[in-house]
Amino acid sequence: MSVTDISYRRRFLASGNVYLPHIAVIEKVIDETPGERAIRTFHFNFKDEKLREEFTFESGQFALYSVFGAGEAPFCISSSPTRGDHLEFAVLQIGKVTNALHRLGVGAEIGFRGPYGNEFPLDFLQGKNLVFVAGGIGLAPLRSLVWNVMDNRDKYENIDIIYGARSPSDLCFKYDLDAWDKDKTVNMVTTVDRGDESWTGRVGFVPKVLEEVAPSANNAVAIVCGPPIMIRFTFPVLEKLGFTPEQMITTLEKRMKCGIGKCGRCNIGNLYVCRDGPVFTYAQIKNFISSEY
Amino acid sequence: MNYLPAKDRDMEQKLQDEAKSLLEQERVDYIIGFEPGSLKFTTTPLITKNKDDVDRLVITPFIVNNLSVYLTEVKGRVGIVAKGCDSRSIVSLIQDNKVVRENVVIIGIPCPGLIDLKKVERLVGKDRDELDDITRNGDRVIVTVDGKGREFPIAEVLYDNCLGCEFPTPQEYDVLIGESALLVTDFTASRQKVETLEGMSQQQRWEFWKEEFDRCIRCYACRNVCPACFCQRCFVEESEPQWVLPVPRWQDNLIFQVVRNIHVAGRCTDCGACERSCPMNIPLRNLARKTYDIVGELFHYQAGMDKEASPLLTAYEVEEAEDFFR
Amino acid sequence: MTDNKKISKSDLEGLLNEWSQEFTVFVPSQENEVVKLAKWGGKDTSFLDWYRNATTPAKANFFPPREEMFGFQKDKEGYHLELPPSDEHKQLIFGIRPCDARALAILDMTFKDAYEDPYYLSKRNGAVLIGLGCTNPYDSCFCTSLDISPVESTDVDLMFTDIGDQFLIEAITEAGKELITKASGVEEATEADEAKAKETKEASYNKLVKKIETEDIKEKLLPAFDNQDYWEGVAAKCVSCGICTFLCPTCFCFDISDELVKNQGERFRCWDSCAFPIYTKMPMENPREDKWRRVRQKVYHKYEFYPMNYSVIACTGCGRCIRQCPVNWDITRVLNSLPAKI
Repeated sequence: MSVTDISYRRRFLASGNVYLPHIAVIEKVIDETPGERAIRTFHFNFKDEKLREEFTFESGQFALYSVFGAGEAPFCISSSPTRGDHLEFAVLQIGKVTNALHRLGVGAEIGFRGPYGNEFPLDFLQGKNLVFVAGGIGLAPLRSLVWNVMDNRDKYENIDIIYGARSPSDLCFKYDLDAWDKDKTVNMVTTVDRGDESWTGRVGFVPKVLEEVAPSANNAVAIVCGPPIMIRFTFPVLEKLGFTPEQMITTLEKRMKCGIGKCGRCNIGNLYVCRDGPVFTYAQIKNFISSEY
Repeated sequence: MNYLPAKDRDMEQKLQDEAKSLLEQERVDYIIGFEPGSLKFTTTPLITKNKDDVDRLVITPFIVNNLSVYLTEVKGRVGIVAKGCDSRSIVSLIQDNKVVRENVVIIGIPCPGLIDLKKVERLVGKDRDELDDITRNGDRVIVTVDGKGREFPIAEVLYDNCLGCEFPTPQEYDVLIGESALLVTDFTASRQKVETLEGMSQQQRWEFWKEEFDRCIRCYACRNVCPACFCQRCFVEESEPQWVLPVPRWQDNLIFQVVRNIHVAGRCTDCGACERSCPMNIPLRNLARKTYDIVGELFHYQAGMDKEASPLLTAYEVEEAEDFFR
Repeated sequence: MTDNKKISKSDLEGLLNEWSQEFTVFVPSQENEVVKLAKWGGKDTSFLDWYRNATTPAKANFFPPREEMFGFQKDKEGYHLELPPSDEHKQLIFGIRPCDARALAILDMTFKDAYEDPYYLSKRNGAVLIGLGCTNPYDSCFCTSLDISPVESTDVDLMFTDIGDQFLIEAITEAGKELITKASGVEEATEADEAKAKETKEASYNKLVKKIETEDIKEKLLPAFDNQDYWEGVAAKCVSCGICTFLCPTCFCFDISDELVKNQGERFRCWDSCAFPIYTKMPMENPREDKWRRVRQKVYHKYEFYPMNYSVIACTGCGRCIRQCPVNWDITRVLNSLPAKI
């Protein structure tokens, strides 16, 4: 075996230095969820006009975002390359950098380096039934792919989206959920761990709801993202439904610093989540994931 | 290799028997002691449940680790080999409710002082692995190099902190292996480096530590080998607020060490583990010993002497002197 | 006549000074009993008498414990980033041991991989390595088990071998050859010199007594991965400090952090270690909170994962992790006692 070839990836280096961020400007801030651990979506664009025009990425890729002075943190690019004149990322307020990001408003400057990591395998997904399984902020990377698929709807077969959060107010991207719910070509299933007085939808953990919805494994691919515990419990359900490890795709999150396979900490076995992932088939990681994820 | 006079080898046998019977009678789940290390003269901690392993337990002048550092980590009841200073660390951990007295069987080793291999290396001008043998005989030590033995007074090769040891025999123990150890002390030599620093001007001392901490690589060995450093999350790892950067600059390194010393004040027994562990040879004991002495002068307190006493800096009495507030 | 050259030890000072014109020369240097490859002071070659190996490996010359990545400043127009100035002269390291030279070749793989690391490579590219055969290895050394000779190296530009009052000099690379052809004090080596060098080399090689079996180590490790009992036992005495990884010549993990003072600041990177729980800690989870998982990661990274990715074991048997360990945690003991599949 040898290291994954990633030489095909387009890269946009500032001054030829992979660690030097580009300056980007926040254009819009959306409150996704309230509370102490709020989630916000940031819309942004590069300050440099040339880069704004040239920049491309693929669904599934991520970047490292800087608040200068607070540091850097990785987030996926949550918008789709098929739409928009801006880029988006979503942030759960939980640590030093994310707290600093949440303090920023429209017009604030951040650092951006990327895109890093691999992408969802669109060629492989075309002509297949797609089952999206997401929990909480785990929808962020998947929504990039969902919109990508929606914008090329005829290239794909059935679409199931199973999305859950802890409570109704913890559901992110409600504007997307509404849009997909209205779309007749999508089977949108939303669930919460615990409902409230106004919640009339499903109640139950994502893996359990997945088992109830029971999408067929025939000509299907499941794309899973959520908290590690959800991912751990989702794979066995998919196996039970007849999905092979090659038919299960996930995108993982780990502590990261460099984003390019050097600083060491995000490995699963010999693979680096930042370099060889973050998108993996279950087949790629199953030997090591049980023990370290 | 024969590190030990015959009497101490009887001690080793006694220790092994004691450890075995503790495991056999299920009085403990684990034994923590020392076994021969993989390199010449060294020993290494042995942490085992297996009664067959205890035949490897040794007592040598090189049992340098303060094994009480493992007590907050190993689950269950533990039989632990403890020198004088180690036993005080255990008592200190009991005072801080980090260790339950009933869960520990302290196997006390009266400690005649540990041999500082760096001092030996300096004396004979050879590295540890180039020496044939080191034998202690009472207050003399014989170092054999290239087949030739050279004799030195033991005080020349003992660790500085051992030379200043007031309690070589554990004060708190369940079993004592052998008789109380003879005190080999040379308080002047023990405090020599500290005194040199005390004699400096503030500016000189600042420059001294600036230089010393400039080579710190922030491996945290000093913290991690220290039984008094038991915080589950060390302040250096806090990011909000970020007290110091993880970046090894002398300023951050110095802050780390100063705060660490204040945190262990009243818990530090001057066991010397911090300085011994430092791969950059930073004379950390100068700070530790100075803090130890200040604790003694200000509070008339010695760490780890009374398991019923409140930990020094957690208790306050109204009539206490306040002249340390400045 | 042979292809090789030689130089008298007394002429080394002159040679190093000559090289100082073009390079920043680094030699073994000792301060506070810590040995580093430090800037040549222009005179002192006494290291030839005491030098065995550096406490801090040569990786520190290219991947220093701390490094400024860039500075940032904020004004009315926003943020401005500035890269630190690069070194004027390339490094010439005299006295690197074959283990540490191999380690740099191993580090190159990571730092050159896909996205090139500009900080490491700007120092590394064009740097000259001059190897010095290791005639007095430590009892903790086991380089021969990793197919490294203490006295020969293909990872340096020139290789020096002690032949008494002189060094035999072998040119390994073209750059090395060029350096030595125009150097003063250098003479042609004789067959007698070569014979003497061969003798020294053999004697040195045979001093390496510590061994591990590396032939099928990858295959032996794989089934042991999930053997929690084994790794818990092995990890028990580890105190989770960073010595073994920081001083390891092939360990490259790093952390990145910012410092802000008023409207300007710097981004740094510094060594980090898989031994620290915080290294992998995320706000909600830590995949390697348990010590045994961290110890396992260290062993697997070197002996399983790196070979999977780059077909080379990321260990050179330099022995620092053993001799510097405060609790004598010995990786050779671990590798020699791997359990069979459970």
